[in-house]
Amino acid sequence: MPIPDKKGYYGSFGGKFMPETLFSCLSELEVFYGKVKKENSFKKEFQFYLKNYAGRPTLLYFAKNLSKHLGMKIYLKREDLLHTGAHKINNSLGQALLAHHMGKSRIIAETGAGQHGVSAATVARLFNLKCDVYMGEEDIRRQRMNVFRMKILGARVIPVKSGSKTLKDACNEAIRDWVTNVRDTYYLIGSTFGPHPYPMIVRDFQSVIGKEARQQILKEQNRLPDYLLACVGGGSNSMGLFYPFFKDLKVKFIGVEAGGLNKDLNSASISYGDVGVLHGAKTYVLQDKFGQVKGTHSIAAGLDYPGVGPEHSFYNDLKRAAYVAVKDNEALEGFKMLSELEGIIPALESAHAISYLKKLAKKAKGALVIVCLSGRGDKDLEIVQESLDK
Amino acid sequence: MTIKEKFQELKKQGRKAFVAYVPYGFPTIAKTRDIIIALQEAGVDIIELGIPFSDPVADGAVIQEAASIALKNGANTKNLFDTLNRIKKDIKVPVALMTYYNPVFRFGVEDFFKSMNEAGVSGILTVDLPIDEASEYLRQAKKHKIETVFFITPVTPISRAKKILKASKGFLYYISVTGTTGVREISYDSLSGHIKQLKKETDLPVCVGFGVHTKEQFKNICKFSDGAIIGSAIVKFIKENHTRGNFLNSFKNYVRSLRAEHN
Repeated sequence: MPIPDKKGYYGSFGGKFMPETLFSCLSELEVFYGKVKKENSFKKEFQFYLKNYAGRPTLLYFAKNLSKHLGMKIYLKREDLLHTGAHKINNSLGQALLAHHMGKSRIIAETGAGQHGVSAATVARLFNLKCDVYMGEEDIRRQRMNVFRMKILGARVIPVKSGSKTLKDACNEAIRDWVTNVRDTYYLIGSTFGPHPYPMIVRDFQSVIGKEARQQILKEQNRLPDYLLACVGGGSNSMGLFYPFFKDLKVKFIGVEAGGLNKDLNSASISYGDVGVLHGAKTYVLQDKFGQVKGTHSIAAGLDYPGVGPEHSFYNDLKRAAYVAVKDNEALEGFKMLSELEGIIPALESAHAISYLKKLAKKAKGALVIVCLSGRGDKDLEIVQESLDK
Repeated sequence: MTIKEKFQELKKQGRKAFVAYVPYGFPTIAKTRDIIIALQEAGVDIIELGIPFSDPVADGAVIQEAASIALKNGANTKNLFDTLNRIKKDIKVPVALMTYYNPVFRFGVEDFFKSMNEAGVSGILTVDLPIDEASEYLRQAKKHKIETVFFITPVTPISRAKKILKASKGFLYYISVTGTTGVREISYDSLSGHIKQLKKETDLPVCVGFGVHTKEQFKNICKFSDGAIIGSAIVKFIKENHTRGNFLNSFKNYVRSLRAEHN
């Protein structure tokens, strides 16, 4: 049976819980994507931009010092080396191509850390689309450099003042804009969440990460890895890495969620949440017992979201992947560890996955591990500086 | 009284439906009762009681703010049903709950419909639950005799509209524009065209909502539909006036002023 099924379900997760106004454009997108997905010309065009614009394939780098330090064989999938500095560009290129071919003149996007906003603003220039990015005021404050980058790229960054003023609220505002301007606007969702077909489309575009990694590790080590490790917010870099290994049952998946400060204040939807419906999908959601979505916290703005892609919820219940939570202070340790041992400064999001290696090393000495280094840390230097000063 | 019975009564009287939306728990939980009774006394035909939600993606600024205040006041689905059970003997007009899906899902769909029935609620509108996701919801609605109102919008193709009409009970909610709730201008030409087309497909009453905020709009919309829904304008009036003396009287006068005389 294909995953997702025709109704956009991954097991019991997913679906299309959206206001009626958006229904026909979701169907239009589903049909259009279903058609171009099979066309060689679309595939070639996408691959052309991935190679010549984004800089794929990315390296699978053997982290020698880190491996020695932890007693494992650790490879880093270097998505941080892509144009704009994170894996987000893979998806943005794919979806901008869709918008372009669908004849839409304007794209909107939500952003947390600003990496998706930057990649959307970037592809908007490339394909000459008007671009508006919704970003929570709190995130604008903590990710100033990315806000400036978006502005240089000609995007309008619209501050979101409602709710917790972070990624969740930016999504709400983007959906409100989309409901209003549905006729000419394409909503370029940045992660594997939202109503069907978005989680599938984003997964497909990001699965280039896992496809390359699979070939590269087979070439290097002549075997498949024991573990795949990636951070999970909405879940696009992790799903991009995991998905092409889905049938390789010996390869264990670990999704690292943002444990924030403690069990009450975090962004770890699978670890601490319950099944609910948020932003169009049935999935694990951080919520109270009356179904009100909770405020979240993570030091990594890109993980600071109370839901998770429905396919991750499916992987969790299927026990295909294990989900763990790593706290802010542990992520900072991971950030320092990779910077000091390998000379690579990771994004705070990716630092969550790096940090978990220390725990994994205790039970899996000698294991062959691939970690998705989803983004570079330049955007986070101010935040890290602040916390080191404390 | 069911929504269906209300429309039969209105039809006999040659009148159109005035549907008013207010959020539960706004400005306070205690005042919700007074506001519902005031709406009834002011001649409102159907009351849409909104369940506040943390992430109201289909609502504009006015209702977002009211929902957020209601949540701060501690409004939740449990005390909503407690409140309704206490006041149901005083409510003569049909009440429909307007909600997002997650509070219903979290409560348990079956328990939610059962509680609605016990609390004397006639109908339900769930903004982000399209018919395609509604099979269990429709089953429970039927079992517990709750009328399910669904939405049709200016961008709904007629083939889909037919399916939506089939699942709808009580009335059909036509959303006047692509957009969120809130005060705005409405273009009647395309609206009347769409509604005339729908009326050919159904005997169900069709009411128009989103944007409606004046007596003139109400009157114009009722020329080609069975009623209009007014929400944000009423919520705004409550927000601006609820602390004043004699609020309930001025509120009733305001609500009465929204309805055209001959409707």
